[in-house]
Amino acid sequence: MTAGKLRRLRRGSQGLGLLLGLFGFTGIGMTHLIFPGLHCYACPLAVTVCPIGLLQNLIINGTVPLYLFGAVAAYGLVLGRGFCGWFCPFGTLNDLLSFRKARFFNALSPLKFMVLLGTVVAAWRFADTMFCKLCPAGGLEASLPYFGLGVAKLNTPFLVHMGTLGAVLVGMVLVSRFWCRYLCPMGALFSLFNRLSLFGLRLKAGKCAGCGVCARACPMGLKPHRQINNTDCIKCGECVGACAAGALEIGFFLPGKEGRVPVRALGVGARPHRVPADQ
Amino acid sequence: MGMRIAVVLVLGALAVVAGAQEFSLSPVEPEEVGDWSRVSRPFRLHPIKPLSADYQGPEFSTYLWGELALGRARYLLMLGISSTSAGLFVDQDRDRTLVTEELVSGGRGEGFYLWQAELTTEPAGGEPYPYRLRFLWPEGRGYVFLLGGAPRKGEFPSPAGRRTFVLVDADIDGTFGTEDDFFVVDTFLDDGGLYGGEGGHERFSREETFTIGDRSFRVTQVAPDGSSVTVEETEYVPPKLPLIPGHPAPNFSFREFTTGEELSLADFRGQVVLLDFWASWCNPCMEKLPSVLELYRRYHDQGFEIIGISLDVWEEDLRRTLEEHQIPWPQAFDGGGVEAEIADLYRVYAIPALFLLDREGNIRALDPGDEELDRLVAELLAEAPAPPPEEPEEVELELPELVPPAEPILELSPPARIGLLPGEESEVTVTLENTSQHLAEEVSLQLVDLPPGVTASSLELEELPGFSSRSLTLTLAAAPDLSPAEYEAKLMLSYHYCIGESCFKFTEEYPLVLAVGEAPAEVATPWNPWWLLVLLGAGLALAWLAWGRGASALSLVLLAVALLSLASGVYLGQARQAQLIGAVLCTSCVGIEEARHDQPHISPATQAALAGLSQPVELIIFSTPWCHACPYAKAMLVEFSRANPLIRFQEVNAEEELELARRHGVYRGGRLVVPAIFHPPSGRTVFGVEDLEARLLDLILGD
Repeated sequence: MTAGKLRRLRRGSQGLGLLLGLFGFTGIGMTHLIFPGLHCYACPLAVTVCPIGLLQNLIINGTVPLYLFGAVAAYGLVLGRGFCGWFCPFGTLNDLLSFRKARFFNALSPLKFMVLLGTVVAAWRFADTMFCKLCPAGGLEASLPYFGLGVAKLNTPFLVHMGTLGAVLVGMVLVSRFWCRYLCPMGALFSLFNRLSLFGLRLKAGKCAGCGVCARACPMGLKPHRQINNTDCIKCGECVGACAAGALEIGFFLPGKEGRVPVRALGVGARPHRVPADQ
Repeated sequence: MGMRIAVVLVLGALAVVAGAQEFSLSPVEPEEVGDWSRVSRPFRLHPIKPLSADYQGPEFSTYLWGELALGRARYLLMLGISSTSAGLFVDQDRDRTLVTEELVSGGRGEGFYLWQAELTTEPAGGEPYPYRLRFLWPEGRGYVFLLGGAPRKGEFPSPAGRRTFVLVDADIDGTFGTEDDFFVVDTFLDDGGLYGGEGGHERFSREETFTIGDRSFRVTQVAPDGSSVTVEETEYVPPKLPLIPGHPAPNFSFREFTTGEELSLADFRGQVVLLDFWASWCNPCMEKLPSVLELYRRYHDQGFEIIGISLDVWEEDLRRTLEEHQIPWPQAFDGGGVEAEIADLYRVYAIPALFLLDREGNIRALDPGDEELDRLVAELLAEAPAPPPEEPEEVELELPELVPPAEPILELSPPARIGLLPGEESEVTVTLENTSQHLAEEVSLQLVDLPPGVTASSLELEELPGFSSRSLTLTLAAAPDLSPAEYEAKLMLSYHYCIGESCFKFTEEYPLVLAVGEAPAEVATPWNPWWLLVLLGAGLALAWLAWGRGASALSLVLLAVALLSLASGVYLGQARQAQLIGAVLCTSCVGIEEARHDQPHISPATQAALAGLSQPVELIIFSTPWCHACPYAKAMLVEFSRANPLIRFQEVNAEEELELARRHGVYRGGRLVVPAIFHPPSGRTVFGVEDLEARLLDLILGD
């Protein structure tokens, strides 16, 4: 599949994500569906439930989240973080504002796990949806529309939302996929399934020349030929289109298929099996 | 007329025959007799102006009102508060109109205002008399403390000689001889003064008998204006013993809490003993503990002993505290709390209370400070084994403790009857609800007075936030040989809460019947396959080790587990729950506005506007259980309906009454918004809590 075709396909899929996120324009009310991404259920046009918002409410209510985690795990095992790259509207916003493909501190990427842990602990300890009060997606999708509708006012919580939204937007402009890389708790949840998801990248090791072009194309700052299907990989396929040698492919494969995970051979560190050293 | 005089003469003669003596009393300054004669009581003020009251004076930002009764005289009070000062107005001419001239003189201290006024009381059946009253307002509070008592002093001509007699109007109601009033008689001449403080041996309640020498007396009549009292001799009762330095400490026996050994105070004769009245729930006692432990460590080997008298209610509390802090000295505990027998004997009404005894068992000091205690213990240990009793130490008299009024805030709904089969366990689930905005702390629940052979678990919650509820389960077990019968037991609830610096502890009992032999009511345990989530977690952890086909297989197995978990969730109604959570916009939950947990107050202007309302107003408030802003909105409605009872409201759980909410248009942008207050006549709704007072007023009066 050519790079252009793959990108068009992804843009179409991201459009579908946005359509599902805003499906309330049809007049359909809130459904039982869990949104496979970060999308505020308080958005006036939302018809699906935000997994992170729901998670906090279930913790506060003391409910064992069978439905939520069942849905998230099912999503994760099928697409993994593919949802971040192909579906999530907030991810799409990240893409639209990504003017730089800076690698920028990949060491900070575990921060999102801290955000997820903090969200859970705060909900349990303070019996409050603390993350929602800081969530930039909530600021964009709920605070701003409700400000327009006259429900929200120019008060401290509104300004906090605008502050986090503004900061994250600036981050998105400066660092590609800033939110998805460093802070998104939903991304953190999906990343746990990346290794086992059916959708993913595959490296045809014999074809890889170790040129590193795929790394330059990766919006998450990864080296796909070395870190294939890494927990941070959003499976956007940019690397697939960039690889002139056709060493990478994207699609649905069994997770155990060759080329799905980097093979660590003794003595060569993290270098995948049969992939030459970087040129 | 002649007949009336004859009756009075006959009654007088009978009184003399019976040994009754009337003597007169006259006003006295509290400073002359003791600070205990200056009593206090909290007096609530309300933001609602009493009917027919008027105020013509300077403007304030807040007005608090009250009506004080002194006998039959009723005085209107108004506390005006502005950002920089406060003033108290008392309607001294009783014309229901407060004017600038009725501003009471006073001054401002650190954190309080103090005003003084001379009013007139009109006791029923007595002559009007002047009543000096002081008003202490702790800044920011909704009440003032009345300081008064109008002490009256006289000489009681007892057979043992004339004794000072002081009568105090302790409830500050302007009438002497009413229920909470007390009197003080100098029963012991050699104690160096009048001991009228709380727990003082010369202080007696209105009905109490007092003893001078070998004869006992009681007050039979008190003139409502305090001008005289009548005392008659009665059957001998032992005198109240002085619990002051220089006098012997009353002996008592107790079972040592840890070892079960039977001990008495007399067993410690020859040692310097500190009687420490304390409790694990008493913060000042616990703060004092390290210094007492240090004192014990330093002097125990030299003949110093401490006897702890615990006013705890529950054994577990005491046991845990003793273990936690490694308290080595003997403890007396009878579970009576503040009504413990030894506390009663020593007339201890507030803790911590310390009595330091010398080697002879005489009281040598009361409540000494840390440094003084250290010095005194060292001195007493150095004394010869049988020292003569010293002159009583100067006891500093203190103002009575000022305590604002408090009410219980937790409501419990226990079952009246619990079925219990011998040899089996039974569970009792109760719901505990905090009906206030205050945080309930150290909440504990325990079954007490259980019959032998029945044991029960107890429960403790660190805190229960305002306007929240919690479901709690206690487990009971009956011994196999317990004979079937009905037993009476109690569920005991204990907690405390604080308003500002004042904290209040409550212990409440709920009676219930234990029906042994009767099957317990079935409690269905809902099916909950939580282990599916454990499987998912374990699978994800395993994924880091899985390889090749193993990884593929693991992925497919986990996908099946995920779908199973999803299906279980749907079966348990969690999909519906998710939909409901998504369908309701809790304005404070998603950070659209700030959740408020304070008590709403409405301004005088709003009160005045509401007072003018003459038609009933019915409102509906839509809320959900997890809405953080809803309790505040509800409390605001309560304030509105207090200001004008014509305003009534109904609370609707928007989750349960989705259709009703839909019909009433509690929607914005296709989503149910809570809290929402709906006004049926106009069809208008206010959402959230931001600036709620003004918006609600506009909603009610808008059209």
